[in-house]
Amino acid sequence: MPVLIAILKKTAKNLSHWETVDSMEKSRLKKRINTFFDRCTGCSLCRAACSLHMFGGFNPNKAMIRVESRWENLVHLPVVCRHCDNPLCLRVCPVSAITRDERTGAVVIDREKCIACGLCSRFCPLEMIHADPETGAAYKCDLCGGDPACVQMCPYGALEYATGDPAEKGES
Amino acid sequence: MTATNTSTMGRLLRVDLSSSTFSELLLPSEIPAAYLGGKGIGAKLLWDLVPEGADPLGPDNVLMFLAGPLTATTAPAMRACVVTKSPLTHTFLDSYFGGYFGPEIKYAGYDGIVLSGRSPEPVYLLIDHRGPSLQPAGELCGSGALESAKQIKARHNDPDIKVASIGPAGENGVLYALICCETNRQAGRGGAGAVMGAKNLKAIALKGNQLVGLSDRKAFLRAVSTANREISESEDCRVLMGAGTASAVEFANATGLIPARNFMDGTSKLAAKLGDHGQKQKLWLSRAACFGCPIGCSQMGAVRTGKYKSFITDIVEYETAAMLGTNLEIGDPRAVAHLNKLCDELGIDTISAGACLSFAFEAAEKGIIPTDGLTLSFGNADAAAALIERIARQEGELGALLAMGVKRAAGRIGPDAEAIALHVKGLEMPAWGPRGTPGMGLAYMTADRGACHQRGFPAGHEATGSEWNGKPVEALALEGKAAMLMSMQDYLAGTDCLVKCDFGAMGVSADTYARMLNAATGLNVEASFFDRLGERVWNTTRLFNLREGMRTADEKLPRRFVKEPLPSGPHKGHRITEADMKYLLQDYYAVRGWDETGRPTPETLARTGVLTEPYVMLTDDY
Repeated sequence: MPVLIAILKKTAKNLSHWETVDSMEKSRLKKRINTFFDRCTGCSLCRAACSLHMFGGFNPNKAMIRVESRWENLVHLPVVCRHCDNPLCLRVCPVSAITRDERTGAVVIDREKCIACGLCSRFCPLEMIHADPETGAAYKCDLCGGDPACVQMCPYGALEYATGDPAEKGES
Repeated sequence: MTATNTSTMGRLLRVDLSSSTFSELLLPSEIPAAYLGGKGIGAKLLWDLVPEGADPLGPDNVLMFLAGPLTATTAPAMRACVVTKSPLTHTFLDSYFGGYFGPEIKYAGYDGIVLSGRSPEPVYLLIDHRGPSLQPAGELCGSGALESAKQIKARHNDPDIKVASIGPAGENGVLYALICCETNRQAGRGGAGAVMGAKNLKAIALKGNQLVGLSDRKAFLRAVSTANREISESEDCRVLMGAGTASAVEFANATGLIPARNFMDGTSKLAAKLGDHGQKQKLWLSRAACFGCPIGCSQMGAVRTGKYKSFITDIVEYETAAMLGTNLEIGDPRAVAHLNKLCDELGIDTISAGACLSFAFEAAEKGIIPTDGLTLSFGNADAAAALIERIARQEGELGALLAMGVKRAAGRIGPDAEAIALHVKGLEMPAWGPRGTPGMGLAYMTADRGACHQRGFPAGHEATGSEWNGKPVEALALEGKAAMLMSMQDYLAGTDCLVKCDFGAMGVSADTYARMLNAATGLNVEASFFDRLGERVWNTTRLFNLREGMRTADEKLPRRFVKEPLPSGPHKGHRITEADMKYLLQDYYAVRGWDETGRPTPETLARTGVLTEPYVMLTDDY
């Protein structure tokens, strides 16, 4: 039944599940930002560098990266966009303003297309979409085109830009 | 939104708490040109805005939160300051804080916040992207400083709001109450918290949406790289990265500078337990940094075991380890961390608190102070904790007495008590006893806010014999100390206009500060700019202090350092005599260009460019 198999294969390729598996394999080759909370001091230089990259001035409140401080600053957890294999922000965007940059693997927002509806923000489980409190416009990490300013700026080694997850490389 | 092409916001927020009104304070260009930011602007505005002789706890006093041109940028280790007229000294007060509140002033759109008047009801000031507003704070009254910050964040459902708050001590008018600036950081000295409490202002909560721009981004980032390299190559900065200021405990003990038993002695057997080794064992778990700082001198920890378990604690800073530790003969770092936390939450300065407690312990030994049922004796941590609570709440005769600070408390008791009250001009001594370091003694005598170790620190050279201007410094020498001190005071006052952190300044050079400032603002200054700026600022605060009644007869050390020889340590047997003080002071006045009574001459004011005329402030009402 070669014809049936061919039809099935063609149908399957159109299913998002298959796309996801496909992109998961691809993403293992792409670099992402990995975080090490045990090295983070909460200094927020990453966030300042991010705001400079995104907006041309300093304000960590407008950064795409977040640092959660716990236990009266005993611990700081940096949270960054994972540029997910299955990016919900991309899938819910009603105007296709969010796409994957094929060169860097980053999930990016097209500022011209964004209609500030807030859907991407609502469906990011890590709350990595930054909505401007005055305009509602959505912003997110774009990996600075492949050379993230946050990673460059961190003096404590709490961020790295690398292929795969640290766990997979046997690091802690 | 686009960023401006300079790192200053170009406006200050003026808040009149009596009428609950806001306006914008636009400074005529001469003021930032002459005074830059931070301390300098604070000195000038205090001179202009506070009426002569104003009650520090009255509505006429102004309370200012001031950032500098490099605050809120990635220039390493920048801070902000509070400037007001001190209720403790009745003179100029500048108190610095790191952390995250300072930068937020600029993200909220201002170079500073200038508060005057007195609110009829307890309020907190909220500034977010909708602008400033006053919110009712009745429910927060009586809450701890850190607890209040937590409650405000919860009320607005935003953990990123940055809060400066006072504790019960500030509300109750304890004269050395502090302003808590987020976890671990305080504008500690001089009683700014009492000024805030007298204004019925419980807190300031900020969440800004403005951008801090740069004049020349590439040049700025290059200069920041240089500054970061200088910090990483600085031995002093590297020590702070590893052990914070706790590293100074054993140093100060070895050099005979640490206070023991109300400064009776300059060494303590407890130093090893309270220093970095002791703290590492009992407390430390991780590191934390202020905004934008690559040093990260905070060693965060927790008291996990023992009587005081369990709570989170920051590093017990040198000043606290010494003033509440060796000075009170309390050697368990967990007990000192407990006292530290009490002070932080109740909102009192650990330095002045330590001096008040050791004063009370010694006075009790002499039987000249009411004890209110407490066993006041050195080493009694329970009594220390109880006293801190009573001071903060002005409870009982003793609590109310000590809440005034050692100068006033001793004045009430009499000459026997005055002989053991360790202060200069009303500000309690910090933890560096000066008997073996006369330059340090002069620094205390002349600091513009009273006994302060941060306006110039000759002890660093005197105790180590390290070089100044190419010559090793002799600890006990008097000659040349005034000139060395003046140079330190000017440079620190100049860079306090940025507003720099003293620890960053151990690495970053004047040239690099100038490069960062130029690239951030578009100015074109050289390294020597900060010395000239600082001298102008120093003369401005001097004029203010003289106008407010500071007597040059009060430029003297506490009796203990003058009459009682140091009992131990490398400078055992030494003291700073009346004759030493006279020599040091006259030399100092001469190098400063002040007359024999310590008043800046008209030539000096003209040469340094002090703006003595009050400027008409342009304000835009909201």
